[in-house]
Amino acid sequence: MGASPDRRVKIQVKNLTKRFGDLLVLNNISFDVADGEFISIVGPTGCGKTTFLNTLTKLIPATEGSILIDGKEADPKTHNLAFVFQEPTCLPWRTVRDNVAFGMEVKGFPKDKLEERLEYILKLVGLSDCANLYPNQISASMVQRVAVARAFAVEPDLLLMDEPYGQLDVKLRYYLEDELIRLWETLKATVIFVTHNIEEAVYVAERILVLSNKPTTIKAEVHVDLPRPRSLVDPKFIEIRKKVTELIRWW
Amino acid sequence: MSNTIADEIVHHVKERQPLTIWSVLGNEYFLYCVSFISFLLIWHFIAAAGLLGLATPEATIKEMIRLMSVKLAGKNLFGHIWASSRRILIGFAIGAATGLPLGLFMALNRYVNAIVKPVFDLFKPMPPIAWISISILWFGIGEPSKVFIIVIGSFVPCVLNAYAGIRIIDPELYDVIRVLGGNRRQEIFYVSFPAALPALFAGIQISMSVAWTCVLAAELVSSRSGLGWIIIRGMKLTKPELVLGGMAVIAIVAWIFSAATSGIEKLLCPWKRGIKEL
Repeated sequence: MGASPDRRVKIQVKNLTKRFGDLLVLNNISFDVADGEFISIVGPTGCGKTTFLNTLTKLIPATEGSILIDGKEADPKTHNLAFVFQEPTCLPWRTVRDNVAFGMEVKGFPKDKLEERLEYILKLVGLSDCANLYPNQISASMVQRVAVARAFAVEPDLLLMDEPYGQLDVKLRYYLEDELIRLWETLKATVIFVTHNIEEAVYVAERILVLSNKPTTIKAEVHVDLPRPRSLVDPKFIEIRKKVTELIRWW
Repeated sequence: MSNTIADEIVHHVKERQPLTIWSVLGNEYFLYCVSFISFLLIWHFIAAAGLLGLATPEATIKEMIRLMSVKLAGKNLFGHIWASSRRILIGFAIGAATGLPLGLFMALNRYVNAIVKPVFDLFKPMPPIAWISISILWFGIGEPSKVFIIVIGSFVPCVLNAYAGIRIIDPELYDVIRVLGGNRRQEIFYVSFPAALPALFAGIQISMSVAWTCVLAAELVSSRSGLGWIIIRGMKLTKPELVLGGMAVIAIVAWIFSAATSGIEKLLCPWKRGIKEL
């Protein structure tokens, strides 16, 4: 599954396979991601999406296959990977500001660059006013925004998002999806966005990879070449959404 | 900032209510006073009726005020308070300074844990006071033997809470730093230690109260000073006001110790505080 030919390939996933004992979870997955591309991954429940992401970020080792970033084997220590988890994960003892700075601190950004980028990101995400609050003083959706800001702050080579807005109500989700698109357009990150929500996938992504049931492979690829901002009731939008739904339903 | 749906801040403050008779009667602080005054009244009537061999609250308070100027065994009341407090502070400091790091090491390193835990589990349920005889045998009847009991008493809760504090950390917090490429040292300093801090303070609080139990026991057995000795003295002289006074002073001093620890915790764990000025 290739990226658009006119764009530079950033991430190459080659023959990625993961077995837990005899259980084959990921079956020979290969795909490319272009630099600055926004990819959504959708699949039926329990198809191994989380295993897939954990393998991509090397939280768990792959059985076979490789993940290359700019042609080099992916490694959290050398590459800037960022992850937004399903559960909002802020460090409760750090203020919003320090949480956003956390990734850059771990990555060892020089102090002046860190400060400058921190202010920029806080402003961009609109968190400046509550920068000195602690996570238990802000709402769950804001905690997730902090996590997104922290992920973008490290200038990630690859940003992975695991159903980040799955637990929010529809209104907030729309708002945060728009914000995510704005951040992505401004900061030019390469994003892999995992979701079980087809509408969400069509709304945010440039390209959708549809996963099959276990053992997981990539079943189809759908390009979403709709202009932004996208409309949920645009007939073309609905057409793509239907197509993806069919793909998930008929395995 | 634009006021959008995503900018909600959780409010921790109560609405200000109008002052009515019910809001006064239902007020927490008012009820605290009710509780305290009824306690003193019940105490007073039981004592005044000559039941249970108690002294009245006012006799107790008078006796304590008298002791502020009159010396008992060469020390006035403050001298005795300091005698007990000093033992606690030294013993507790040694207990915490060894117990907390040991608990942290046990939780962070499975080899340390495997070596220390079996022996620790053996000694854990043993009441610290059981050490009194051994302590006197080793250190004599002077200060060191009393301090030793307190060290033993405060050591155990410090180890347990430091250990638990690390073990209960949400694994997702580690995932955050692992994905960012953090090494083991960063995991420990950026995640483990700050996350365990409130649990360390819980251990310190428990240690403090155990330390008071221990100092009392030690002073009851062999001592010429301290609040425990005042109680024994009152018992030997059949002066209930001295016994009750000693108990009351212990309660007050122990409370001050505990409040001071809470104060330090609030200072070091600001995220546990509510929001000010909101």
